[in-house]
Amino acid sequence: MKNHLLCFLFLLLGSMTALAQKRVTGNVTGSDGFPLIGVAILEAGTDNGTSSDIDGNYALDVSDGATLNFSYTGFASQSVVVGDETTLNVVLQEGVALDEVVVTALGIEKNKKALTYSVTEVGGENFSAARSMNVIQSLSGKVAGVNVSSTATGAGGSTRVVIRGNSSIGGNNQPLYVVDGVPMDNTNLGSAGMWGGKDWGDGISSLNPDDIETYTILKGNSAAALYGSRASNGVILITTKSGTNRKGIGVEFNSQVRTETVIDRLDFQQDYGHGLNGAKPTTQAEAMEQGLVSWGGKLDGSSVMQFDGVARPYSAVGSNVDRFYRTGTTFSNTLTLTGGDEKYNFRLSGSALNNEDVVPNSGLDRYNFTVKVGAKFSEKFSGTVGVNYINETVNNRANSSDAPANSNYGVQTLPASINVETLKGTTDKLGAIEDGTELLYNSNVFITNPYWTAHQVYNKSVKNRMIGNIQLRYDIYDGLYARGRISMDRYDRRRTDLLPYGTGFQPFGNIDERSNNFQELNSELILGYDKDLNETIGLSVFVGGNTMTNTFETVGGSGNTFAVPFLHTLGNAGNRSTIYNIRELGINSIFGSAEIAIKKAIYVTATARNDWFSTLTDADNTADNSELYYSAGISAVVSDLVELPSQIDFAKVRFTYAEVGGGAADPYLLSLNYGVFGQGHNGNPLGGVASGSIPPIGLVPLTSQELEFGLDLRFLQNRLGVDFSVYNKKTLNDIIAAGVSPTSGFGSKTVNVGSIENKGVELMLYGSPVKNKDFRWDVSFNYAKNNNKVLRLLTDEIEEGANRETIRLEESRTRSAYIEVVEGLPYSQIMGFEYARDDNGEMILDDNGLPTRGDLVPMGTGVHPTSIGISNTFSYKNMSLSFLIDSKSGGYIYSATNAYAYHWGLHKNTLEGRETGIGAVAAENVEDYYQAIGFSISEQFVEKADFIKLRELVFSYNLPKSKLGNLPFESVNIGIAGRNLWLISSSVDNIDPESTYTSGNGQGLEMFGVPQTRALQFNLGIKF
Amino acid sequence: MKFSKYILLIVALMMFQTSCDDGFDELNVNPTSSPEINPQFQFTWVQLRTSGGRYENWRAGLIYSSMMMQHFASTCGYWTGDKYTWNGGYSSSLFDRAYLEQVKDMQDLINTLETAEASDPTMLGMAKIWRVVIFHRLTDLYGDVPYSEAGKGFIEGIDNPKYDAQDAIYADMLNELESGINLLGASGGFGSGDLIYGGDTNQWKKFGYSLMLRLAMRLSEADASTAQAWTAKAIAGGVMESNADNAFIQHTSGPEGINQNGIGQVLDAAAGFGDDCPRLSNTLVDWMTSTGDGRLDIFGVTPVNGGAHNGMPNGLDETTIQANPSGTTKDDFSSFNPLLVKVSSPMVFQTYAETQLLIAEAIKRGWATGSAEDHYNNGVRGGMQQWEIYDASLAVDDATVDTYLAANPYDDTFEQIGWQYWAATFLNEYESYANWRRTGTPTLTPVNYPGNATGGTIPVRMLYGGGEIGLNPNLDEALARQGMTTDFVNMMTVPVWWDK
Repeated sequence: MKNHLLCFLFLLLGSMTALAQKRVTGNVTGSDGFPLIGVAILEAGTDNGTSSDIDGNYALDVSDGATLNFSYTGFASQSVVVGDETTLNVVLQEGVALDEVVVTALGIEKNKKALTYSVTEVGGENFSAARSMNVIQSLSGKVAGVNVSSTATGAGGSTRVVIRGNSSIGGNNQPLYVVDGVPMDNTNLGSAGMWGGKDWGDGISSLNPDDIETYTILKGNSAAALYGSRASNGVILITTKSGTNRKGIGVEFNSQVRTETVIDRLDFQQDYGHGLNGAKPTTQAEAMEQGLVSWGGKLDGSSVMQFDGVARPYSAVGSNVDRFYRTGTTFSNTLTLTGGDEKYNFRLSGSALNNEDVVPNSGLDRYNFTVKVGAKFSEKFSGTVGVNYINETVNNRANSSDAPANSNYGVQTLPASINVETLKGTTDKLGAIEDGTELLYNSNVFITNPYWTAHQVYNKSVKNRMIGNIQLRYDIYDGLYARGRISMDRYDRRRTDLLPYGTGFQPFGNIDERSNNFQELNSELILGYDKDLNETIGLSVFVGGNTMTNTFETVGGSGNTFAVPFLHTLGNAGNRSTIYNIRELGINSIFGSAEIAIKKAIYVTATARNDWFSTLTDADNTADNSELYYSAGISAVVSDLVELPSQIDFAKVRFTYAEVGGGAADPYLLSLNYGVFGQGHNGNPLGGVASGSIPPIGLVPLTSQELEFGLDLRFLQNRLGVDFSVYNKKTLNDIIAAGVSPTSGFGSKTVNVGSIENKGVELMLYGSPVKNKDFRWDVSFNYAKNNNKVLRLLTDEIEEGANRETIRLEESRTRSAYIEVVEGLPYSQIMGFEYARDDNGEMILDDNGLPTRGDLVPMGTGVHPTSIGISNTFSYKNMSLSFLIDSKSGGYIYSATNAYAYHWGLHKNTLEGRETGIGAVAAENVEDYYQAIGFSISEQFVEKADFIKLRELVFSYNLPKSKLGNLPFESVNIGIAGRNLWLISSSVDNIDPESTYTSGNGQGLEMFGVPQTRALQFNLGIKF
Repeated sequence: MKFSKYILLIVALMMFQTSCDDGFDELNVNPTSSPEINPQFQFTWVQLRTSGGRYENWRAGLIYSSMMMQHFASTCGYWTGDKYTWNGGYSSSLFDRAYLEQVKDMQDLINTLETAEASDPTMLGMAKIWRVVIFHRLTDLYGDVPYSEAGKGFIEGIDNPKYDAQDAIYADMLNELESGINLLGASGGFGSGDLIYGGDTNQWKKFGYSLMLRLAMRLSEADASTAQAWTAKAIAGGVMESNADNAFIQHTSGPEGINQNGIGQVLDAAAGFGDDCPRLSNTLVDWMTSTGDGRLDIFGVTPVNGGAHNGMPNGLDETTIQANPSGTTKDDFSSFNPLLVKVSSPMVFQTYAETQLLIAEAIKRGWATGSAEDHYNNGVRGGMQQWEIYDASLAVDDATVDTYLAANPYDDTFEQIGWQYWAATFLNEYESYANWRRTGTPTLTPVNYPGNATGGTIPVRMLYGGGEIGLNPNLDEALARQGMTTDFVNMMTVPVWWDK
C-alpha cells in the first residue's frame, strides 16, 4: 500500500493547507466482528500513522477533514473521511482485497492487479449446500461467459461447458481442465446420436465437490496461452484443498442426502386413444399394429382391445411419466483429516456417493480418495505430492434419441389410453412374457418395452482413475528458482453393454465387452526469476519446457446369439468379434513468460510458446508440425496512478492480445490406412480402406487469436464492484473434418482453412445493498453475450454466387433436421425444411390436400448467445438464504419429441380436424395431414429455447458455538437446498429447453431423453 | 549452487533436445493398420460388401423392391413398399451405403492395379467387371448418379462428385465391360480370393458377357440400336452356359456379421434376425398355383394356421386385413421358406436363367438368331433348378421341369418371358425391379393405399439420400436434368432414362 499512499501524497501536496488537529479513536474489526490486530492506519497525504492494538483499538491525531487509510493483509483497504466525529469504528472486508493472489496458468501465482486478462475464481464453499453431484454443473449461471449445458442423459451423463463461444468448427470446444497442475481428460466416452445410444459420461464429473478449494476460470487466450494448444477454449483450474499449519488433527465430516423427482412436461392430447383412421382397434393384432398411434377414436370410456389382448376402458390414464420414473436418491458422505506444522502439512479425504437414478434400475456409485502432502524440506527446497483416486460404477445408463432399448421413448410415446404399467406383463420378470422374452406391445420390434429396457437390458461401466502429481521447487538464489513437475492422469474403464436373450429386435441377444485405458503423462520444468529491481521496477520471468504423451487403448470383444438362453456371457455368444484400437499422440513445448511491474501499478506481460505436434508429423517428417505463438498485455491500476473521485476505491484497465496454436486432435490423419480382417471369409483374408476421412495434404497448425479489453472497478467502500470484459476471438486455419458427399467414398475430409469468430462482452456486477453487523444482502449479477460467426469453412476463396458452404455435425432421427456449421452464420445452425409456401405465404398443399415440404434453410443456432445469472444471498447472523436465477436466450432447439408427437398423434395441435377434417383431408385420414408434417417439415418443430430457471435455492445455518455446548464439535453447518425448482419461463412445448442428448458440438437436437429433475437436498457439515 | 547448475542443465537440455519432434513421425503411424493392402484381400472385401449388409438389403431390397414387385406382401406398418408410401431413409439406403462400402474400395483397388509397377491385367479385368456390377444397380435404382467422379475422394480429391447422366453411365459401363473382358488372361487374377468363381477366368468371361447382355437389353426402350449392337456382341462373346456359371457369393454364418447374408440378417429367425413381417404375395402364389409351378414350395411354406398355400394381397394393413376374405391375420398366409434366407445363404447376382430369357427376348425382337423357344425353355429350366445352391433339398430334377414346360408351353409373348424372369430373380430384387420397369412385364396390378406417394402407381425409382441436399452442389443439376425437385416424396413417379 506504500505506493498507493505515495500517490496520494504527491497528488494532494498542492492542495494542502494548515488545518486544525483533533484526536480520533476507534476500533477495527473484520466482518465477523473479531478485532483485527496491527491494521496500518495512515492519514492520507502525510506520514502520520499508527496501527491497531491487540483489541483492534487505535488512536491518532489528525487534521480536520483528513482521510484515514486502513490497510491490512488479506483484507480490502478502506479510506474514510474524518468528519465531526472523534470515534471512528471500521469494519474491513475480507476476500475483496486488492492484493489478492490468484493462481494462473501453469500454477503460477500472481497478484490480481497484475493480470492483463479476465480470471474468475469461484470458491468451492459456494457450492457446498446446493452442490450438484456433478461438480461442473454447479457452475451453471455463476460465471459470465461460461456456458454450462447439462444433458438429458441421467446421473452418469456428461456436461458441455463452453467458454466465450465455440471457437473450433469441428474439434473440441470444451475447456482444458487442470486439477492441481494435472491436465485431466474430459473425453466423452460415447454419446447418443441419431440412431440412439447412451451417454457414457465424461471425466470432470467424477471429482468430489467436497475436495475442491477453488475453481479458477481462465477465459481467454491470454490467460491460457501458456497451456498451449489445448487451452484455446479456456482453462478451468481446479485447486483441491490442502492441509494447514494447525494445532492437532482437524476432522471434518460432510453428509448430504438428495432426492430427485422427474418433471413431466409432456402436455399431450388426452382426448383420442390408440387406433387408426379415427377408430379404435377391435382385434389384438390391430391393437399391436396400432400400439403407438393415437389416431383412434374419441376416448369415451368404452371397452377397447389393447396390445395384450385384454380389453380395458378407452379413457385417458394420466401421467405415464410419473408412473414409470422413480424418485432418485443420493447419499454422499465425505470424511476429511487435515493437519500440519511449519514443515509438513497433509490432507486426507475419503468419500462415498451412492445414487439411485430416476430411471428405474439405474444409478451411480462413486468413491473418491485423496492424499495431499506439502513439505518444506529446507528454507530453499519444498514440494507437494498429491494423489486422487476415483472408483466409479454406473449401472444401466439410459438411452436417448432413437427407440431401440430406450425406455424414455417407450414411456413418452404411449397413447393417452394406455397405462405404462400394463407393459410390465404378468410374470415376475418385468417387461417379459412367460418364456422370459420381451413382452412386445406394438408391431415394431425396434420400439422396446420400457420395462424390458429398464430391468432386462443391462449396461455397466466401471472406471478406476488416478490423478497424481509431484512437484518440487528449489529457490536457488535471490529470486531465482526452479520448479519441476511430473503429473499423470490415468484411467481404465470396463464396460458391458448387453441386449439380453429375448429382446424383440435382437431375439438371441447381443453382448459387447470393452476395456479402455487412458494415460496422459506430462513432465514440466520451469526456471524462474522474481525480483523487485528497485522501488519502481519489479521483474518476474520464467522459461520452461513440457513434454506430453497421450495414449488411449481399447480392447474388446462382442458377440450375438446366445447359445444357452439367458446365459449372458461372451463365451456363450456366437458371431464373436474382437476389437483392438490404439491412438497415441504427443506434444512437446517450450515456453517463457516475462512480467515487468512499474510502481506496482502498471504491469506489462508477454509470453511465448512453441509447440510441436505429433499429429501433424508425416512419415518423412517434412510437414509443418510446429508453431510459435505469443501473448502480450498491459494492466494499469488507474486508481493508484491518478486521483479519482472518492467514491471509486479501485480502478484497473487491462488490454491484451494473444495467439494460441493447435494441432490436429486425432493422430493418423495424414495417410490412407487399410484395415485387415485376418479371419476373412471362407479362409480368404479381407482388407479395405479404413480411413473414413479423406487424408489431407499440407495440413498446418491452426491459430486462435484473441484481443481482450477489461475494466475492474470498485465503488463505495467496495460495496459495489464491476468487472467488465470485451473480447474478439478468431480462429484461423481451423482443422476440420468437413462432411463431403458420401459418393466420394468418404464421409468427411480434413481441411485446414476454417475460420470462426467470437465477439462478446462479459459483465459482472456485485454489491452489498445492505450490510451491517447482523444482516447482509449480497447480490451478484452476471451477463454475457457472445456473437459467434463462422467466417470461412472449406475453401480459401468464396466464389461469387456459389452455394453457402456448410458442414454437417449431427442429424436428427427424423432425418429432416440437421445441425450444421454454415458459413456466415453462428455455429451449430439448425437446418430444417420449411413449409412450401406461395408468394402470399400460404402453405402449398399437394393434390391430396397435404402440406408439402419447401427448402432446407438455417433456422437458428442451437447455442444460446446470451446468458444471465442473478444470485442473491441474505445473511442474518448465522443463517443465510440464497437463490440463483439462471437464464439463457437466443438459441433454438429442434424437438424430435414433438415431431414424433405429430407423427403418432400425441401432440395437442393434432386435435384440429379430427372431427371435421382439414381442407381436402377427411376426418378419418387426418393423420395423413399431420404425418406429412411430422418427419418432413421441420419448421414446425424448431422453437426458441430461451428459459429462465430458479436454479438454486439454499438455506444454510451455522449452529452458534453456544448451542453446541459440550459437544466435541468445532462447528456444525446445516443446509437445505433445492435445484431446478422452478422453470420460470420457457418457450418450448412438451420438453425442457435443456434436453439435448449429446454434449458434443452439434447442439440443438432433442429426442426422448431422461426428463429433467427437481432436486431437494439436505446437507450436514461437522468440524471437530 | 551445484544443484541449481544441474537444474539449469536440465532446462537447457529440454529446450534444445526434447523441444524438437524426435520420434513423432513414428508416433503418428497407426500401429493397427497397414499403409498398403494386398489387392486380393481388397477384392474379396469389395465382393462381400457388394453383397451388402442388412441395412440396404432390408430397406431398398426387401421393404421397397420385393414388395413393389409383389413377391411379398405385408401388413406391418413399416413394410411400406407394396403401399407406395414414402420413407426417405429406406428409399435411399443403397445409395447411402454403396458408395461408402463398395465404391470406395472398388476405385481404390482399380487405382492400385492401374498404377502398379508389375501389372496383373486379369486382376484389372475382374475389377472392371465388378465395378459395373456395383454401378449398374445404383443407376438402375436412382437414375443419374455420381459415376465418373465417384469414390475418388482420396485418389483425385473429388469431395462432391458430379452426377452423370444415365445414358452416359450406360455407354461407359458397356465399354468398361468390354475392356475388362479383354484384359482377362490365362494367368493371374485373384485366385481363391474371388468369391464368385475362385479365379476362373473362363467363367469370368461368361459372366462379363452375360452382364453385357443384361445392360444391353436394359436399353431396349431408350436406345434400341445401341441395345441391339451390344446384345449381339454379348451373345457372340459367350454368355453363361448353365447354372454352374451363376454369379453368387456363398455366405457363412460367421465368424462376424460381414460374413453373413444381408437378407438372412433380416429374415433368418434361427440366427436371431426374426423380422416376421413379409408373406408371399398372392400375385406370386396365384401365378404359381395356376401354372402348377413347384417353385412355390421352394419359395414359401404353407400358412401357420394351416391349409394350402395362400398368398397375401398387397396393400393390406392390420385394419383392412380384418375384412379381407382370403385371411384375416398374417398367419393365414404362406410365409417365405427359411431355407432361402439363412445368414449362410448365397447372394445371387446373375443367373443362367436370366441370360437365357434375355436371349429369348432378343430373338423375339430380331436382335439375335436362334430359337426363342429353346432359350425360353432353357431359362425356365435354369430358373427352376437354380435353388439347390441354397439347400440340397431344393434340387429340382429335369422330369419335373419337363412336366411343367409341357403343361405351360412357350406362347411367344413378352409377358410370359417377363413372368419367368420375375420368378428367376426372386430375392435378387434390384434386378427384378429393374427388368419389370423396362419391360412392363409381368403385368402387376397396383394398389391405391390411402396416403400413398404415387397416386396409386408402382414407383419407378428410388430417391437419393436426403443428405445430398445442401451438401453436394451437383445434385441440383442432376435433378433439373431429370425433371425433378428436392421434394423427394413426390418424385417416385419420375422414370429413369432407360425406362421409356
